[in-house]
This record gives sequence, C-alpha cells and structure tokens, in this order.
Amino acid sequence: MNDLIPLMVIIPIIAAILLNVLHGKNSLVKIVSFIIAICLPLIPLLSNYGLHYFGGHSPLIDNGDLLNSLPSFISNTNLSNLHIGITYYFGGLQKAILFFLFLLGFLAIFITINERKRSSGSYMFLIFMALGSVTAMLLSDDIFHMYIFFEIAITAQVGIILSSNDDQRYETAMKYMILGSIGGPILLTGIGFLLGLVGSVNITDISNAVKNGLIDPISPVFLFSFGLIFFGWIYSVGLPPFHTIKSAIYSKATPSGSAILQALSVVIFLSFGLAILRIYSHLPFINGFIIFFSLCGMILSITMALIETDLRRIIGFLAVGELGYLGLGFGIGTKLSVTAALFQGLNELIITALLFIGFGVILQLTKTSNINKLGGLIESHPKIAIMVLIGGFAMAGVPPLNGFQSKLMLIQSALNANFPELAIIMILISIVTFMTFIKIFHSAYLKPKPKDLTIEKSLVPRSTILSIAILLIICIVLGLMPELVVKDFSVFVGGLI
Amino acid sequence: MIDVQLAALLCSGCFILVGLYAAIFLDNIIKKIIGISFIEEGANLFLITLAYKPKGVVPILLPNMSPDWFITNSAYPLPHALVLTSVVIGASTLAVILAIAMVLYKKHGSLSASEILGDSNE
Repeated sequence: MNDLIPLMVIIPIIAAILLNVLHGKNSLVKIVSFIIAICLPLIPLLSNYGLHYFGGHSPLIDNGDLLNSLPSFISNTNLSNLHIGITYYFGGLQKAILFFLFLLGFLAIFITINERKRSSGSYMFLIFMALGSVTAMLLSDDIFHMYIFFEIAITAQVGIILSSNDDQRYETAMKYMILGSIGGPILLTGIGFLLGLVGSVNITDISNAVKNGLIDPISPVFLFSFGLIFFGWIYSVGLPPFHTIKSAIYSKATPSGSAILQALSVVIFLSFGLAILRIYSHLPFINGFIIFFSLCGMILSITMALIETDLRRIIGFLAVGELGYLGLGFGIGTKLSVTAALFQGLNELIITALLFIGFGVILQLTKTSNINKLGGLIESHPKIAIMVLIGGFAMAGVPPLNGFQSKLMLIQSALNANFPELAIIMILISIVTFMTFIKIFHSAYLKPKPKDLTIEKSLVPRSTILSIAILLIICIVLGLMPELVVKDFSVFVGGLI
Repeated sequence: MIDVQLAALLCSGCFILVGLYAAIFLDNIIKKIIGISFIEEGANLFLITLAYKPKGVVPILLPNMSPDWFITNSAYPLPHALVLTSVVIGASTLAVILAIAMVLYKKHGSLSASEILGDSNE
C-alpha cells in the first residue's frame, strides 16, 4: 500500500487544520485529536516500503513511451534520469522513526487532553502540524521540500513554546525566531547554489551528479553551498553556537511540549544529516567538520548542564548534548557508525521524552524547577521516581537499556574506524551524563524535603504515569532486542554508503 | 551594458549582507525584523536570478511554439515555483515574528533587543 506514504504527511496536516477550525468546541477537539493521534502510528506499520512520486511524475527513464517521444538531447542524456516531481522514500528507517514519533505525538496529546479541562484546538493544531512537517522532512528526497517543512516546523515549535505559561516564553520565542529567520534563508541560499549547479533540488539527482563527475566536489560554489547548508543544519539541531537557545526553548515549553520539541529536533537532525551525507560525502573534510561541531556540542552542553540549577534547563542541555552522539556517528562515516547514530537518534527521541514528562511532574507538584529548592519527593511519588531513574540510566548508557546498546555500537564503530580518542570521549561524556543525572535525581527525590517546599496534594494524572511507563517499556524492549530496529537501519545505511 | 544576471546576483548579495548586519548589530527589534526580511528577499532574488536567460521567453508552451525552440529559449521554471513557495513561507514567519514583537512591546514598553532579550536566562 504505497498510497499510504503521502498520507503520513497529509493526515496530520488536515487534522491540524480541522482542529484549528474546531477550536472552542472542547469535547469535539478532544475526541477528534485522540482518534487521529491513536490512528497515526498505524500508518507507518501498514504502509509498504517504496517510493511515491507526487503527481505520478516518475523519472523519464521509468516511462519508456514518453522518453522515446522526446528529443534526443533529453532521451540520450542524464536529463532522462532526473526526478521531475517531489519524491517520497519510505523504508525501514522511516517506518521505525515515524512509528515512535507518532506514538510520542499520541502520548503528548493524551497527556494534554487529560491535564487540561479545556483542550485548545490551536495547541493540537501546532502538535499535528509539527508532526506532519518533520514527517515530510524524513520522507522527502527533495531538499527544497525539506526546507519548506523545516520552516513550518520552526514556526510550530515557536507556537508550542508560546502555549506554555512560562513568563519568559515570548522572549525565548523571539530569540529563536530571529535566529531561525536568519538560518532559514541562509539554508535556502545554499540550496540555490546546488540548484544552479545541478538544475535540480532532488537529493538523489544532486548525489548522482557528484558521483558521475558532473560537479567538481571541491569547486568553490559547491563548497559554499556546503557551508550555507551546514550552517542551517547546526542551527536547526542546536549544535554550537546554538546549543543555549535550543536548551532554553525546551525549558520554556510544557513537559509534553518539550518532549515533542526534542523529537522534532532529532528527526530534523537525522533528515538533514542524511541529506548532507548523501550530497557532500565526497568532500574530504566533511567527517572532521561534523565531528568537530558534535564534540563541541557534547562538551559545551554537558558543562552547562553541570553548572545549571534549573531542572528543565539541565534536561535540555543533556538532550542537546546527546545529539552530539548522533553527529559523531555521522562524522565517523562508516556503515556501523551511521547505523548506530540512527539507533541513538531513535533512543534519544524516547528517553528524553520520558525524562521531560517525568521531571515535568515535579514542576506540576512543586511549582519550582530549581534543584536547590527541591527534595523529598520519593516519599510521595516513589513509582515515578523509579521510572525516571531508569530513564536516566538509559540516557547515561547503563546496560541493558536502549541507550547502552546504541552507545556501545557507537564506541565500537569509533574503535573499528581507528578513532580510539573519540571512543574515550564518548565514554567520559556518558559518565558525566550519569553524574549529572544522579545529581538532579538526588536533589529532587532523595535529599530531605526543604521546610519551605510545598508539594501539592493533587494526584498525578494517570495519563502521565501511563505515558512514562509506555516509554520506559520501549526503552527496556529496545535495550533487550535492539535487532528489532537495527537490522532495518543497517539495510538503509547499506544502500547509502 | 551591465549584465542583468550579474547585477541581480550582486544585488541579492547586498540584500543578504545588509540584512545580516541589521539582524545582528541593530538593537531595535523592528529593525532586526526588517533586516530578516532583507535576507529572505535576497535569497529569493538569488533563486530568481538563477532562472534568468538572456532574451529568453516565459516558460509557458503556447500552441504556435515548437517544443525544440521552446526548450532552447524558455527560462528555467523551477526556481520561480520554488520562490513562490518561499515567499509564502517567508510572509508567514514574518507575521509570527511581528506578532511576538507586538506582545513584547506591550509587555516591556520598549523595542530594544538588549533591554528585552538581554536579561532572559539564555
């Protein structure tokens, strides 16, 4: 059922528009958003692998009758291979990532429906629009199409930040928008240079043009396009110098909103990262470039997390730092390392969502996220404490959880590729992540309760506990059976490298 | 006579540079937003310039044109389509950023970026 491929983008977008129209009709918004959100994860599971050509515009070479009727300077040249329309590719990687992304979207909506007496159609609009836009980015084989949905995702992210109750949300949103509005056109200019060189914005066409020698991979125009697109990439994923603003937006949103924001960042990272690898893999310095920025991201973020006292900012910095592992996997550039990076991306999506939602409970109960003012929560909420603790272990790479499996693969790939220093850095960063996590866990749960801290008597919604439990089960299952997804990832990477 | 394509390319480069200067170095948020708009339009002009063809025709195939002649003489239509989409996206993001600027002005009574954004914790 290849027709389901575009529906993964179309359904969230139509749902977003519908829910925005229904804004104000509380029960209708709740019912419609719940039904659509629970159905969405099924689409990637039911869809067949393959390509979808929008408008039926397949490359001319696949359409013999039409090709023979065209002039010879089209039919006998590379023009016949060009992708005329937008192409979506759906494979094992997309299936796994989209299933878990939609599941996370469902959990975020489930929590929102249960937490808020009045469900906002506009907020649901933002979540569905964000899901639809990053899905399009992951599926698309067209870099301009990716850029358009990247801009939509940025705007949806800003909307999610603004829908929280944080006092500083407008200031943070403005900073993010200013940076995004600079990063977006710079990315577009880079795409323009590629268009000027190849005449197409299809990633496969551009990649083929480089492989076949039609483009000199060290020509100034090609290098300039790399610089511009790389800048757009590091902005979108929060690698330095954008790591502080990225962690700030996580801390300003609601807990379930932060989980969605981080999931968007991970999918954008993977989509643009894979596009960059496919187009620019012939550049001699690309690996070093990616490794450098990823290492900076990891080290700076973990350092900031160590000195920070705001719980949500700490998780934000840890989440941004974890993205550095993905970058290292891409930077090492072997089949094993890229597979490990993709697996780490999937794990990151699940683990950080668990931590954002889990620690969000603390904010809900105590109205503070300052770790110096917290303490003693294990007495009142031991179940959540244990689940969050295991989630933190997964992030730090403690066996047998999913974070351990992906980090082990990354370390093995670094050793196999003769980068022992990178393996050592990854182990050290994991240890520091573990220490940071233990510090915040101790401050919030184990430390004696400060006298001036008031813990609300209200019960934590069951939807929140259930969501944390589901995410935790996924962490354990993927930790015990990583081959459930790694096999498909490996097949995808095999076709790439 | 000045090459139109080269002039447009230089112009788009100037737009982007002026926009970058305004967005990074000017303190007034509205001026920053104007700078951002300059960068967006510079990028759009750059794309449009790529499609330019000296003495070319609009890429619409009319009944009296032979396909061979049309292919040789028409401008490249893809960048036009891309810019059309980009303009819409740019206008939308500009609307959002202006709306946030309005809220910030009501909240702080000022449009100074250093005053409004400088003291937040990032």
